[in-house]
Amino acid sequence: MSDFSEELIESKTEDDQEESYVFSGTGMSFPWLQNHIGTIATGGKKEKDFAQTTSACLSFIQEALLKHQWQQAAEYMHSYLQILEDSDSHKRQAAPEIIWKLGSEILFYHPKSNMETFNTFADRMKNIGVMNYLKVRFHINLYPVFHIEVKKPERNLFHSRNARYSEKANSHIVFLNFFRLFLGILQFLFFSKAPLELTLTDEDDYAYNAASQSMLNHSCKTSVNLGALIQTPGVWDPFVKSYVEMLEFYGDRDGAREVLTNYAYDEKFPSNPNAHVYLYNFLKREKAPREKLISVLKILYQIVPSHKLMLEFHSLLRKSEKEDHRKLGLEVLFGVLDFAGCTKNITAWKYLAKYLRQILMGNHLAWVQEEWNSRKNWWPDFHFSSFWAKNDWKEDKTLACEKALVAGILLGKGCRYFRFISKQDDEVLRKKIKRIKKSVENHSIVNPGL
Amino acid sequence: MDFPSSLRPTLFMAGPLGLSNVPDLSFMCSWRDALMLPESLPENSENGGPHMATQLLWEPETPGPLPLLPPGPDPWDPGVTAQDLLFRGGFTFRRKPRAVLDVTEQLSRFLWDHGDIAFAPLGKLMLENFKLEGARSRSKKKTVVSVKSLLQDLGGHQPWGCPWAFLSYRQRRFSILGGPVLGKSVASLLGELLHEELAVRWEQLLLDDAFTGGALAWVPGRTPQVGQLVYPAGGALDKLCFQEVSLTSSGAAQALRDPGHIQLRGPVRQVVTRTVQGETLLAVRSDYHCALWKVSKQGQPAPLPVLQVRKGATGISLSPHLPGELAVCSRSGAVCLWTPQDGLQQVYKDPETLVFCDHSSWRWADFTAHPRVLTVGDRTGVKIVDTQGPPGCGLLLFRGGAEASCQKGERVLLTQYLGACSPEPLHPTLHLICTQFSLYLVDERLPLVPMLKWNHELPSAPLWAQLLPPPRPGCPRPLLLGAQRGHLRLLHLTGEGASAPRLAGHPQSLPSSSDSLSAFPLLEPKSQWRLQERLKAPTIGLAATIPFPASEPVLSLFQLSAAGDIFHQRLRLQADPGATLHAPTASWTPQATAFCSRWLKALLKVPPPPPVWAAPTFSHRRLLGCMEQRTGEHKGPEGLRAAMAGGRLLQQRDLGPLPSAEPPPAPEPGPEDELSARLEAAWEGQMAAWWERQQGRSSGPSRPSKRHKRRTQLSSTFSSLSGRLDLSDAISPPHSPDRASPEAKSQPPVTPPSHESTQELWAQGVPSERQQTLRDYMAKLPLGGDSPRGVCSSLSQSPSLQATSSRSQTLQERTAELPPRRTTLRGAAVSSSQTSSLRATPSRQRASVPSGSQPQRKKPRMGF
Repeated sequence: MSDFSEELIESKTEDDQEESYVFSGTGMSFPWLQNHIGTIATGGKKEKDFAQTTSACLSFIQEALLKHQWQQAAEYMHSYLQILEDSDSHKRQAAPEIIWKLGSEILFYHPKSNMETFNTFADRMKNIGVMNYLKVRFHINLYPVFHIEVKKPERNLFHSRNARYSEKANSHIVFLNFFRLFLGILQFLFFSKAPLELTLTDEDDYAYNAASQSMLNHSCKTSVNLGALIQTPGVWDPFVKSYVEMLEFYGDRDGAREVLTNYAYDEKFPSNPNAHVYLYNFLKREKAPREKLISVLKILYQIVPSHKLMLEFHSLLRKSEKEDHRKLGLEVLFGVLDFAGCTKNITAWKYLAKYLRQILMGNHLAWVQEEWNSRKNWWPDFHFSSFWAKNDWKEDKTLACEKALVAGILLGKGCRYFRFISKQDDEVLRKKIKRIKKSVENHSIVNPGL
Repeated sequence: MDFPSSLRPTLFMAGPLGLSNVPDLSFMCSWRDALMLPESLPENSENGGPHMATQLLWEPETPGPLPLLPPGPDPWDPGVTAQDLLFRGGFTFRRKPRAVLDVTEQLSRFLWDHGDIAFAPLGKLMLENFKLEGARSRSKKKTVVSVKSLLQDLGGHQPWGCPWAFLSYRQRRFSILGGPVLGKSVASLLGELLHEELAVRWEQLLLDDAFTGGALAWVPGRTPQVGQLVYPAGGALDKLCFQEVSLTSSGAAQALRDPGHIQLRGPVRQVVTRTVQGETLLAVRSDYHCALWKVSKQGQPAPLPVLQVRKGATGISLSPHLPGELAVCSRSGAVCLWTPQDGLQQVYKDPETLVFCDHSSWRWADFTAHPRVLTVGDRTGVKIVDTQGPPGCGLLLFRGGAEASCQKGERVLLTQYLGACSPEPLHPTLHLICTQFSLYLVDERLPLVPMLKWNHELPSAPLWAQLLPPPRPGCPRPLLLGAQRGHLRLLHLTGEGASAPRLAGHPQSLPSSSDSLSAFPLLEPKSQWRLQERLKAPTIGLAATIPFPASEPVLSLFQLSAAGDIFHQRLRLQADPGATLHAPTASWTPQATAFCSRWLKALLKVPPPPPVWAAPTFSHRRLLGCMEQRTGEHKGPEGLRAAMAGGRLLQQRDLGPLPSAEPPPAPEPGPEDELSARLEAAWEGQMAAWWERQQGRSSGPSRPSKRHKRRTQLSSTFSSLSGRLDLSDAISPPHSPDRASPEAKSQPPVTPPSHESTQELWAQGVPSERQQTLRDYMAKLPLGGDSPRGVCSSLSQSPSLQATSSRSQTLQERTAELPPRRTTLRGAAVSSSQTSSLRATPSRQRASVPSGSQPQRKKPRMGF
């Protein structure tokens, strides 16, 4: 627990920390190392009483938070403020941040807290430590956003008057960039709220004009900031999404496409499935040619073969004239059904049953066998066990029928799943089961020559 | 499967550990979650601000967990602690005390305990350089050391690691002489190995990864209220027990019947259970073997194959998708998949660590949402490996580095696939990764970027995690995180379908078994300590279940401790999650305390663990004492011989005084009484009077203490046999040739004892020409005579003063060179048992007998 403050000052006293933290030789650090040493240490600098009480107080706060005793935590917090007078400069410097973190956390959960108390608290923070005030501002900016007080947007929050403090915090350049980006985001957030407000106030022309005016102003800033943001590797889903919306709103389709393409294909970015999804959706809205859509989804397929868009991908591939696309269509379906979360996806099973028949009628037995070879030693247990036969029949008869058909085709008439379903006597599904039996007779890949 | 339609904004930065300066928002999940923009915002507004569903609180029914079963018959030993391994005391380090392995102490213990092994060969070689007792060295060679005086110098006091060890001239000489031989051979051979071993032990103390995953499992029975706990028992943890437990809605868990058990050949490290397609499987990992059982509906285990792992198994996991499939990983870096159809196949092998070089051979493997894709983890990262793909390839799921804004020194301690939890998984692609600082949730569809990060701040290593089904439909799912020292955290995970997983509410800490101490009756310190140790025993397994998923949101939690105890606690989801300022506090029920006292009674009946081998405490003071003793006793054989020669009956007087003739010091009022008397006097304000009385008593001849008499006697003996001391006759008492005769004892001392001790302490051994000067000087000192005496008189009673006493003794003996007899007497005064133990060895010491009676040379000889 006492390592909380250690963590914060780590950047400043890294060497010191390393000494007391890391057991030489392994390179691994143990946050509980000091506790062990504490049990035996007789030498070394003794902690002063002051340091002892403040660190005890800190651990009480953390304990109270972990026990959801908000009131108690707040009371301890009251006492903890004495750390601001610590003679140890390391601790004194780290203190405002700890106070800010814990204090805001308490206020977040404390049932009696409100925007007012929060603002007062944040204002006080300004007085106790400028070093970290940048971060504080950052959070202050977040608070109204999350507490839905943007209806009366405090615009001054979004002005970049924080730049004043930024010069003082030279050591936090990375943070500064990040902060600027978030500033852009916040401006953008305001933008994303604006249409909502417009719908509420569209009867009032004056309000509409004022709102749209401010929106325009903000959108300029936003595009500047977001432009920078999107250059930085990261996950920026909500912003990209709404930025594109904004660009589309202003008719800048090429700009939007570029943004999305960069976001999806820049190698410095993590492989984010959503980037491809957004691009696909955008292209679909644009009514892009099928080839283009397929190429986007192909990449998504490689990243997330279980994505729900894969069924759409399959439909696209099925309709394609190219043979390798149709082959890929089969692969995609098998791929979707490989995943544990998709085993009950009735659409996928329906597609597979239908497509298997289609493929086999088209004399592409080799395609099916190719897919089946890598799965034949585990699909039977994974999908077509008697447990699932009973279970599926109990829970979803349609699913059971589709699966039975696929099982029959892939494993032959003798398979447990197919036998179980075909033996069931259900008035509604009798006809269907008969049809399934017939299909299996005709198409089963087991002993096709016989 | 839905992928979250929009993920939390995160900076992505590639690089090594500790690189990122990026503001890490993980410390405040509540804020970070709020960054789920803008879709989540309208929801929030409907629920009215930040307090929606944030007050999830599991309320413990008792202040701490209670033992479920009576304590096992095997004693438990807590093992080594930091105190045994680290250097105690020491210098001021830069900012904080640092962990320094105390090789010196261990080495010195080895040398003490196994001195024969360490020194015998060398000792033989160096025999000519030692002057043993009695054999007065005839050579004046500087290379001969007198053993006796050397032992005297060592003084029995050896500070830990001896940074401030008191070095005498003789010792220095000895160490210069023997150092190159003794020091090098023993220390160089042993020191390195010892250091290595200590480092391993110390590392193990900081992190013992053997039980990663946990050795306790809950095998569900026919109903959710009945199940079996599977855990290892016995001192060696090699008995796999199956304990049927029923959970009632009202009270505590009840163990039904005696547990069935299977005797294994190695300690059980991990027990995993999984129910797949209605089949319950149980996998057990030992150090070098892994075994699989199929548990029937009646709870009977049927054995399936046993796998041998040559290099040592570090992890085992059961497939959540296919019954009977098993992944095992070994210290060699290999991961094997065992399937009922194909048997064992190696799917991955890499002796190196994934991301950067780390010495740890710990490996872990688990399953993923794809039944043929595994995760392979080590301390540096986690990789996704397709078992059907070409060997060696894979994709990093988690990288210990800037991608997850890891700290310097951060290492993976546990990885777990969370998707397996029935009925409907949260996100079937989620993986939990725990380090010593943080907890990460990673989605296998978005590798490298953690979906969630939270600083758990656990004060020990988190090695167990369990995701539970939601207690109520629509509720967030509890995720339990257990640490080695019994600390528990309970988190609530929410976010299904198209929303990203996040924490609902502030995580909670749960009581650990050491919080249960208050339920036990107060004991005398030793038993209390034992109980405390037992409750503080490290946890080695964790299991939890929600027994009444339909009606009551109750969580039953079991913890297995290294001492073999299972602790159980129940948590109830707070009925009204509304605004509460104070979390309610639970209290012990009378049943609970009654049960605890019964348990305690049983625990105290268990014999304490046999002590680890300890060498018989050996103090050279006693050894010296025994040398002296012998000189006192040498009359025996002599008398016998004389009697035999004279052909007469051997009589008591021929043998000299019996050692028991020395009255034990116990009956006489000790300094404690003196102290209390003094305090009493001080309290009553009659301190001055007391002091007067005291003065009168100590200095006046009216009540001389026995010690004084003895000393007088002694000094008489000294002068009788040594002319070399050359003390002025005015001080020495009348000589009595029969020094041991009972008459001598009753003789009143001629000189005041204080005066005499002055002589003994300061004057003896000083060249005679300087003695007068010294005496004059001493006379000028006001209390010079009294102070050393005070030390001497109190030494036998208070052990804390022994250090001082032995030093003063050393001083005395160094200067006098004839202290043996005095030491004997003092030794006898310290404890009579010592004398008796030493009496058994008179024959060996015979050689030195003549030394006392031999005419002494005039010049005092310093040591060699």
